[in-house]
Amino acid sequence: MQRAANVALIWIAAGLPILALVIGDPRTSSFSAEERAASEQNLAIIVNLSNTLDGVSRDELRRIFLGERSHWANGRRITLVMMEPGRPERKAILRDVCQMNETDYNNRILHDLFTGELFVSPKTLASPTGVRKFVFNVPGAIGYVRATDVDETVKVLRVDGRLPEDKEYPLHVEARAVK
Amino acid sequence: MSHNRNFVSTKAAGAPHGTHAIWHALSRYSSLLLMLLVCGVSAGLGLFVMRDSRIADAETQKMYEGSVLGFRRIGELQYEAQETRRSTLYALTTNDSNLQVEYADQSRRADRQVSDGISEYLKHARIPREVEVGKRLRDDWSAYLKIRDEVLASILEGSTREAVELDITGGVPSFDRVRQDLEVIKRLYDEQAAHQLAIVDESSRRSVTRLIAVITLTVLFASVSIWAIQRSRMIVAMQLARLQMDFVASISHELRTPLSVIRSAAENITDGVIEGTEQLTRYGGMIRSQTRQITELVNQILLFASTRDGRNRYVLRPVQVPQIIEIVLENTSELVQEEGIVLETRIDSGLPNVVVDASALAQCLQNLLINAIKYSGNNKWIAISASVPHGQDEILISVKDSGIGIASSELKRIFEPFYRSPSVCAAQIHGTGLGLPLAKRIAEAMGGSLSVSSELGRGSVFTIHLPVAKTSEVRTAVGHL
Repeated sequence: MQRAANVALIWIAAGLPILALVIGDPRTSSFSAEERAASEQNLAIIVNLSNTLDGVSRDELRRIFLGERSHWANGRRITLVMMEPGRPERKAILRDVCQMNETDYNNRILHDLFTGELFVSPKTLASPTGVRKFVFNVPGAIGYVRATDVDETVKVLRVDGRLPEDKEYPLHVEARAVK
Repeated sequence: MSHNRNFVSTKAAGAPHGTHAIWHALSRYSSLLLMLLVCGVSAGLGLFVMRDSRIADAETQKMYEGSVLGFRRIGELQYEAQETRRSTLYALTTNDSNLQVEYADQSRRADRQVSDGISEYLKHARIPREVEVGKRLRDDWSAYLKIRDEVLASILEGSTREAVELDITGGVPSFDRVRQDLEVIKRLYDEQAAHQLAIVDESSRRSVTRLIAVITLTVLFASVSIWAIQRSRMIVAMQLARLQMDFVASISHELRTPLSVIRSAAENITDGVIEGTEQLTRYGGMIRSQTRQITELVNQILLFASTRDGRNRYVLRPVQVPQIIEIVLENTSELVQEEGIVLETRIDSGLPNVVVDASALAQCLQNLLINAIKYSGNNKWIAISASVPHGQDEILISVKDSGIGIASSELKRIFEPFYRSPSVCAAQIHGTGLGLPLAKRIAEAMGGSLSVSSELGRGSVFTIHLPVAKTSEVRTAVGHL
């Protein structure tokens, strides 16, 4: 009993400064649930302007990003554009679309390339601008950027019938990752 | 004064008339007028040539600027077109998608420059050939860009082999067409520059021709001017010589008559032809009369010479006109009696004084009176009057006769020195031609004037106009032409 009380005290002692830090930080102290939601950024799925597709389902998107679907309906080959590992956008896609972590995804791609199920490995670009320019130049390309990084050179696809600015849009970049 | 009576004021009376007047004016102003003419013509033509040269310079400048700008634009177009292709091909050299995207971006920036350049070229295209080539370049460039886009897409997709094939089969030929179009445009600029150079050359040659024409015309005008000046001077000199000859002849004639009388009288006395005191007295009077005539003639000539040289200085002071008239009448009373002239005087009472040189005015009036006696004809009537017209500040002294009168054509010349009317010469009325010019000069030297009105066969009126004295101050004036 005495030992349990000591452990509880140690925990409290260790936790108090952390609590004080959290409470003392004006940013975290006023971080309400609505603001947290607002600070989250939606992830836009972008394709070339010449692409006739308007929207995809999350399942369809998963198949595309895992290389299970290799061509568009018009016969044009699909070119996947990924951001570099560690980028929040990439994490969001792996989490929300591919539903796997970085290691699993890499293994999956390597496996598919080895077995010939995937013809070309996804193109990896360092920045949202690079992704946007790549998609602009390649008619069969598909990539992702934050909704705030979208411009008129690319086309944004609906995901499950929703655009990034719509409520209940399914793809988000984590707020903490944004910070 | 009758309606058809001729009137001339001395202000214009001294002026020559007709061709003579023109040459007289020319002789005086010819140098100035002709030099002005030459200067004016030369300046006008010079300005014309300068304007022409300035236009040629502006054309040259415009041509130079146009050529430089044109060639610079063409150079930029060629460079950017090469850059478009070069950047595309650079993307082939790497597998890094980030770099490939950068190269694609570079290529697109360069192709936008080319497209803008082509639009600019088409906007400034003037001749149909330029428009045609410009449109062809635009189409060829669009065709190349389509292929370039496919090549870029293939490179970015990772299909290098496909990209190379596309570039070789489509990109190279279409880019060659673009290059050829640019060469044609460059040649067009060359041709235009050559054409403009020819225009400037022609303009320059025209300027030189005009300059030569200006110089030729200037020399021509200068020659004509010199000739005209020399000619006018020669005419004046000849005229002067003729007048001098006339004067000498006239004076000789005037001197010879009394001298002949004197010589005859002297011979008669010497030869003992004269008998008795009565005859001797008559001959003595004759000699005295002729001698006086010669003396007056010589005095007249000397006086004229002094007024002509401006040596004769007049002392102007307020003078009473009736006194002057009285002196003149006294001086000429003997002549008046000899000629049997009926002389009337009409002098207004209360006449103001005039500011004149008394002896000069007397000489002037005397000349007019002697002139009237000489040309009074058979009527032998002369009237001298002095008056102040109402509302005027001048005194008029008139000498009127009812003699032979003066033709209107002669009126303008009677005040010329040594001039004698042919009709007067024919009538053997002796004179020197100095009386009236002298009277005129005296009147003008004293601030007045002399006018004449006359009617042929009915007589003449000479009027001296003198300003009324306002102060009693004494001034001096110089008798001059």
